[in-house]
Amino acid sequence: MKFGIFYELSVPRPWDREAERKVYLNALEQVRLADELGFDQVWAVEHHFLEEYSHCSSPELFLTACAMQTKNIHVGHGIVICVPEFNHPIRIAERAAVLDILSGGRLEFGTGRSATWTELGGFRANPDDTKKSWDEFVHCIPKMWMQERFSYEGKYFSMPSRAVLPKPYQKPHPPMWVAVTSPGTELDAADRGIGSLGVTFTTFAEQEAKVKEYRRRIQNCSPVGGFVNNQVNTVNFLFCHEDSETGTKIGMRMIQHFNYLAAQLDMAKEAYPTKSYASAGLLPSLRRQASSPGELGKAPEGIAVGNPAHLIQELKKWEACDVDRVSFMLNAAEIIPQEQLLNSLRLFAKEVMPAFAESQPARVAAGGGR
Amino acid sequence: MPLFGKQDVQAVVTRAPLMNGFGTEAWELKNAEILHLAFEVVEGPAEWLIPPALHPSIPPYVTLSVARFPTSPAGPFALAQVRLVVRAGIRPRAYLLGAYTNSAQAAAELRARWGFTIGLGIITLQARHDRVIGQVVREGQTILEMELENPEQISGADVTYLDSLHLARVIENGKETPVIVQVDPEYVFHTAQRGKPRLISLQADAWGGNGRLRCTNPMHATFCHCDTDLPKLRFALDPSVPAVQSSRRLAA
Repeated sequence: MKFGIFYELSVPRPWDREAERKVYLNALEQVRLADELGFDQVWAVEHHFLEEYSHCSSPELFLTACAMQTKNIHVGHGIVICVPEFNHPIRIAERAAVLDILSGGRLEFGTGRSATWTELGGFRANPDDTKKSWDEFVHCIPKMWMQERFSYEGKYFSMPSRAVLPKPYQKPHPPMWVAVTSPGTELDAADRGIGSLGVTFTTFAEQEAKVKEYRRRIQNCSPVGGFVNNQVNTVNFLFCHEDSETGTKIGMRMIQHFNYLAAQLDMAKEAYPTKSYASAGLLPSLRRQASSPGELGKAPEGIAVGNPAHLIQELKKWEACDVDRVSFMLNAAEIIPQEQLLNSLRLFAKEVMPAFAESQPARVAAGGGR
Repeated sequence: MPLFGKQDVQAVVTRAPLMNGFGTEAWELKNAEILHLAFEVVEGPAEWLIPPALHPSIPPYVTLSVARFPTSPAGPFALAQVRLVVRAGIRPRAYLLGAYTNSAQAAAELRARWGFTIGLGIITLQARHDRVIGQVVREGQTILEMELENPEQISGADVTYLDSLHLARVIENGKETPVIVQVDPEYVFHTAQRGKPRLISLQADAWGGNGRLRCTNPMHATFCHCDTDLPKLRFALDPSVPAVQSSRRLAA
């Protein structure tokens, strides 16, 4: 199993001149260390208007900075919003290709559609249409990368024949993913031959069943791209400390802050009645799990906070669910001081990572990746 | 930390109703019709309409509803409400700014049992094929007129009505105390429609807006037939203390 880190870039009030810069610089320092320690990916969200919760509206810039300061770690869009009011698909393809070139072929290309009214309403996007526009985009973007010239007449965008440039460094193109939030999106991922960037974990048994169905279904997929990315990534929290009680206490404090900030947003399901958003979305799913009552003094099942032994135990359960990767959120509202967070990463790399050194066989189909 | 409400509770609680304690029985409200619209509101001023116990949502928005209840223990009545969406800790709720009913008997019961800040008015709800219209008139003045345009059928499962929070007064330990009670009805939907929201007029000050409630971005409009209730009260909190610190479960 591979490990990554995942950024929302939350900025607590008060927002003085240095507040956002400090969060970005801290994150870059963490990414540099993660690269040295052997973490495999760094993901950054695309969110807009999400006060305090996420000030990461231009992930391609942040990820470019990450790529320029590291050697090996993959840089992941987690995710690009595939809704025309947010991003034109040509610009998505162009920006992603540049990032892939500058990173030397380290881009992981995650796609999605936003789950909050705060964002959808802000761009005056119709929540009914986001799944449909996402589908159109993920079918077209890999063709923009693979074909010398591309033309298209669709519902959400059209273009005459043009060469979309530059082309990605990875051939035929970077691995593609979709954020799995609403129930059934993991099946959309499987049917299109793209990776499942999931956060809607419930019980381990349910997760295992979902992954099993994804693996079964992807065998008969119609790939949107030039290869099948048969991988499952799940998001988690991380705080690792030698002392179990300290690790759990600090980790849970971070999770509570994350939950609290996330809860202030207007989720699409709450604010707009539509079948397009059957569940509350990414954040509450993770929130519910992280907030479920564990035993006194313990983190809830599956959450990676505590001492190394506990983390190994919980992550082994994820591995048993056939999950390929776990990506960790490291902080929320800067609640964990930077030095403490860096020590957590170091301890994780030293004590936990070796227990997973025997990784599962890569499932990316031939022709994929670099 | 997120922003907190800035309302001066002591200044506004005097117009809040005095409740008969927390021990009300539930009312069953069958065959209700509810027209419900939502609009974003101007953020800064709205914070002054929210007590310090609660957070504004991001962005803050208001729900406007006109409902008709053909049967209830107080007889048939109509109810119109203006509520500002908030967060009680991590929970989405709608804070009642003001309400009107067409029944004096219902008004008295709603005040005493569930802490509604409520007045009397003429309330009309007209369902047409091209639109659904809700209107509230008080002392000859239209204080709310709104429409759902171009209704289309949707599933009731897609409709979310947030639980309400009502600022009220109760006598506790011989002393009159400000309190926020949670009113959390259940809904069984028979039909649901969705359409374009259109706000024709809102006299915000007639609903407790105090010059601070200004609707902006339209969000949604629904019109539903459902069975619902006014339940027993389950939770209360101190309006001046953050909800995570002051929420308490009421005796069954």
